This record gives sequence, C-alpha cells and structure tokens, in this order.
Amino acid sequence: MMKEKNLDDLFREKLRNYEQEPPAYLLENILNGLAQNRRKKRMIWWKVAGVAAALLLAFVAGWQFNTNEKDQTAGNAFVKHNIEQKANEQTVVASAAKSNETTILAQDNNLSQEKEQKSDSGPKAWSKNNATSIMAEPKLEELATEPVNEEISSLKPRAGLLASKEDNISLREKKKNARMHNSVEKSIDQQIMELNQQMITAEKINKQKARWLVGAQVSPEYNGAQSSHSQAYASNMLKTQATKLDLAGGVSVEYKKGKRWSVQSGVYYSGIGQTSGNSSRNLSYANDGANYLNNTIVKVDASKNSYTINSNAGEVELNSIPAGMVLGASLDDKNYLASAVVVSQNTFIQDFDYLEIPLYLRYNLIESRFGISMLGGVSSNILVGNKLYVDGDLGRSLVGKTKDLETFNYSGTFGLAFKYGLTNKLSLSVEPRFKYFLNSLSSNANVTYKPYTFGVFTGLTYEF
Amino acid sequence: MEDFRALISDCIAGSRKAQAKLYHQFAPKMFGVCLRYAKDSTEAEDNLQEGFIRVFTNLKSFRHDGSLEGWIRRIMVNVSLEKIRKQYLLYPVEDVSVFDAVNVSDDVISKMSADELLKIIRELPPRYQLVFNLYVFEGMSHQEIAKEMAINEGTSKSNLARAREILKKKVQENFGVVKAKNNFTA
Repeated sequence: MMKEKNLDDLFREKLRNYEQEPPAYLLENILNGLAQNRRKKRMIWWKVAGVAAALLLAFVAGWQFNTNEKDQTAGNAFVKHNIEQKANEQTVVASAAKSNETTILAQDNNLSQEKEQKSDSGPKAWSKNNATSIMAEPKLEELATEPVNEEISSLKPRAGLLASKEDNISLREKKKNARMHNSVEKSIDQQIMELNQQMITAEKINKQKARWLVGAQVSPEYNGAQSSHSQAYASNMLKTQATKLDLAGGVSVEYKKGKRWSVQSGVYYSGIGQTSGNSSRNLSYANDGANYLNNTIVKVDASKNSYTINSNAGEVELNSIPAGMVLGASLDDKNYLASAVVVSQNTFIQDFDYLEIPLYLRYNLIESRFGISMLGGVSSNILVGNKLYVDGDLGRSLVGKTKDLETFNYSGTFGLAFKYGLTNKLSLSVEPRFKYFLNSLSSNANVTYKPYTFGVFTGLTYEF
Repeated sequence: MEDFRALISDCIAGSRKAQAKLYHQFAPKMFGVCLRYAKDSTEAEDNLQEGFIRVFTNLKSFRHDGSLEGWIRRIMVNVSLEKIRKQYLLYPVEDVSVFDAVNVSDDVISKMSADELLKIIRELPPRYQLVFNLYVFEGMSHQEIAKEMAINEGTSKSNLARAREILKKKVQENFGVVKAKNNFTA
C-alpha cells in the first residue's frame, strides 16, 4: 500500500526535470510578439502625449473663454458636454461586458455540474459544452431557425440562466438520443464554430473602431479681417488695399472612437496678412508740423531712429525709410509744411505667421470609401512671425514689424471634410474650412483686429 | 549563473540572437512545466509563448540574487495560473462523485514513464490538477495555495486528497495488474 507522501515523491521525482522540446514556430512567435509589444509601447506614448496636449489645450481654451464673452463660454460647454457623454458611453459598455461575462459564467456552472454527472464525458465532451456555453443567447435563437432546429432548440434552454432541474433532466435524455445521431451533432458543432467565428469577427470590427489617424494637409488661405478703431486712430490710418492670399498647412492627429465622433489635434502653420497703401487723406488738409508717409501721419522717434504709422491691424514700426521712397523736406505745392513728407506709390505688406494647435471635433455624416464629415472646434495660435515689407518699383524690402501683437490668440474653426479612401489605410481629403479669430490680434486699445481665413485643406490621412 | 549575465544584458538590449539563445536554454524544461498545468499541448504552447514574452519584457527587473531558472519557472506558473483562473476557476468545480479507496503499489508508478504520469495529471479536473501541481511541484503550502486561488484551506486540502485518489485510480486502471472494471468520472 502506498502512502500519500510516496505518491507525491514519485510524481515529483519523475516529472521535476521533465523536458519536452516545444514546436519550432514558438520562438518566431515570441520574437514577433516582442517586436509588436515595443510598437505598442511607442503607440501608448504617443497616445498619452496626444491626450495631454489636447487636455492642456482644452484647459487653456476654457480659461480664456471664461474671461471672455458669455457666448464663447457656451461653445466651451458644448465641447465639455460631448466629452462627458463619451465617458458615459464607455461606462455603459464596460458594465454591459461585465454582465455578459457573468451570464456566461453562470451558464458554465450549470453545464459543469451536468458534466460531472455524466460517466463518459472526456475532453471532447467538455470542449463541446464549453463551445455551447460561449454562445450568446441571441445567437442561439438564430440557430434555431436553421434546418437542424430540432436539435438546437433542445440545446437552447441550457443557455438560460433559469433553466429548471426538470429541464436539465429532460435535456440529458434528449442529449443521449442526440448522441446517436453523430452526423447531426457534427453539423451542430460546425455551426457553433461558424457562429463563434462570426462573433470573433464582429468583435474585431468593433475593436477597430477606436483608432488613430495621422495626416498632412496644405491649403491656400484667403484672408480677411473684421476691424474697428477709435476715431482718432482711424483718421490717420493707412488704407487697407487688399487681403492677402497666403499658405497654410500642417500635420494632424485624429482619435476616432465609435462610428461618428472623433477628436483631432495637430500642428498647423498659418500665414495671415494684409496690404495697405496711401490713405485717402487729402494732403491739402495736412496738419501743420506733422510728418507724412503715404499720406498718413508718421510719428518720428528720433532717438530710436524709427517711424510709426497707424495701420488697420495696429501701429506699424519702420526701422528706416524704405528704399525707393521719396523723402522730401518740402514739396512744391506743400511748401508751407515744415516737416518731411514722403509720398510714394509703394505698398505696405504686413505678414503674421502663426503656429496653430487645434482641438476639433469631427462628426461623420457618411462613412464609407467616400466620406463626408463636419468639423468644428477651437485653436490656440502662437505668433511666430511678424514682418512688415514695403513693396514698390525696387522690389520688396523688409522694413519693420507690426507693434502690439498678442503672442497667443484663439480662433474658432468650422468646416466640411470630403474623404476618399485610396487604400484601406490611406485616404485623400479635401476640407474647406473657415477660421475666425475670437480675440483681437492687437493689444492696442484703439484697435480691434480679428482676421478670418478661408482655406481648402488638401492632404493625405493614414489610419492605424 | 554567472554565464547568464552577459546573455541577459544582450536580451535586454533587444538582441534577437541572445533572446533565441536564452529561449533554447530554458524552453524544453519550461514547456514541461506548462504541459503539467495545461489541459492540452496547444494551451501549454500558448502559455509558454506568453511566458517567454513576459520573461523578455521583464528581464530588466530580474535581480541576480536568485536562479534565473527559478525566476522563469515562476513566470510560467503565473501565466498558467492566470489562464486557469480565467477559464475554470471563476466558478466552483466540486467533485460530486464518490471514490473507493484504491491501493496502488509503488512499483507500478516507478515503472510508468514521465509522459504517462504527465498524461494522467493533465486528465485531472482543472482545479485538482492545479492544487496538485502547486503542492507537489511548487512546494506551496495549503495556506499559500488557498491564497493564490482564492479558496479556503479546507478546499485546497480536500482537492489535493481527491487529486491523489483520482491519480491512484488512474494508475490502477491503466497500469495496474488488475484492471478496474468500473469506469469512473473525472
């Protein structure tokens, strides 16, 4: 007779150093798995960075809007509401998944008890039971409509949580009969396998719905501006001749969750500007003792050797009198003027360059190979370039800059997006967008200057 | 032990060659461990694969104060445990069948091959298989097993006893001089 201790020892001795060569393909799987993990880690880093940037942006934007008009706050609240709704959706999904799991477990329990009472249930029978229990109930109902519905409907109550003991007994009898018809059972198994496969596929599709997109776009940008000035300022101001056509472009990162909504950020470069010429002022009414450039009063700061003129977008500061401009101590018909008057046909060009970090919400109207979506949101704009050129017969020369420009500005954007899938991952997009600045570019109290731009952003988007 | 230091640091640096070398060093033995915990060889392969991915991912946290083999083995056991928890242990499997005490002589087991012993361990109901493995091969106490599996100590003890009974019976049935006439359930 053997003691327990001996049995343990015998097993231990024989199996402690037991070795078996695993299949050769495993190593390849492991090494590939490791490479995939590294990629995933990198992706997670990008995701965290993206979310952090978006949150920071939302915070800055929210803070800014709180200090501004109420209608802007309403826009912010809308964004917040949407985010909250999203969070709710996720909670619901999570709890649904949990309850699903519980149901499956309960079913398993039911089956396992039944299994234990059966005398000949080998591994094969177990795996079959298991396969049945994994199936969700709605799928079972679908099955019941198949040609083998008689057998299936006999299996159906097994999945029910509340199946009574009597049911179980009758089921067992039925199952015994079923065992006699091996061919029928086989076809049931096959169908179960097919259904499982379908469910896995459906799950995969669901998973694919949360995804990231990166893209690059360029666009010509047509500029305009809404401006107002104090009367004193406006009476001595260069006349804005035309808005400029500029270039915009950048890279975008988009996070897509679900079928309809996605959040987009990125970095864009955006050029804004305007050209100005002579003011409409008639020099016959020129103020005595004042300096004039392009018929506009010039404030001369002799100590800094700089000249300041009022423009639509705020005062511009010239570091020198531009080449090709005429500097006259007096003009024939205006010889009563003691000061210098400069008259030219030159044009002033003001260029403002911004880096834009957007936070857009997108809503898909049509999602297929050809897709249409709407987008709207806010952007932080950082001033990175501020230049003043004079353009004339002798070409264009850099002469100074526009004064009192804010470093940070906020803009709102809305637009439409048309997308065409070139491949599964790559798509071409054309997006007409309208952007308007929410606050004045100039901090000068006499000037309110809010540009707007219209552009058609064209580019490629890659999805992964 | 000392030999592995260079290999480990190469693995951490991401050298596929070093990773393959480390794998070949331990894979056969670890496959043996995984086979003992799994219900079939496919599951054992899965566990071995996931275990080694975990080994390579966490290799930098391996402190050289213990044996590398022991460390890797622990990871394999953990992976197997997690898999079993997901698959079976979420619901209780209490054996309802009654066994008669079986007498088996030591000789019979001594004559059995490792493969045959492995086979009958794997035929145990999942929870008995797990308790038997943890107690006999990992040297865990019932208290530790109870904690690991979130069951009480009494259950662990009775599971072990039941596992032993089934194993004896299997030995008797398959390899004993007198074959048992009655079938038993597991």
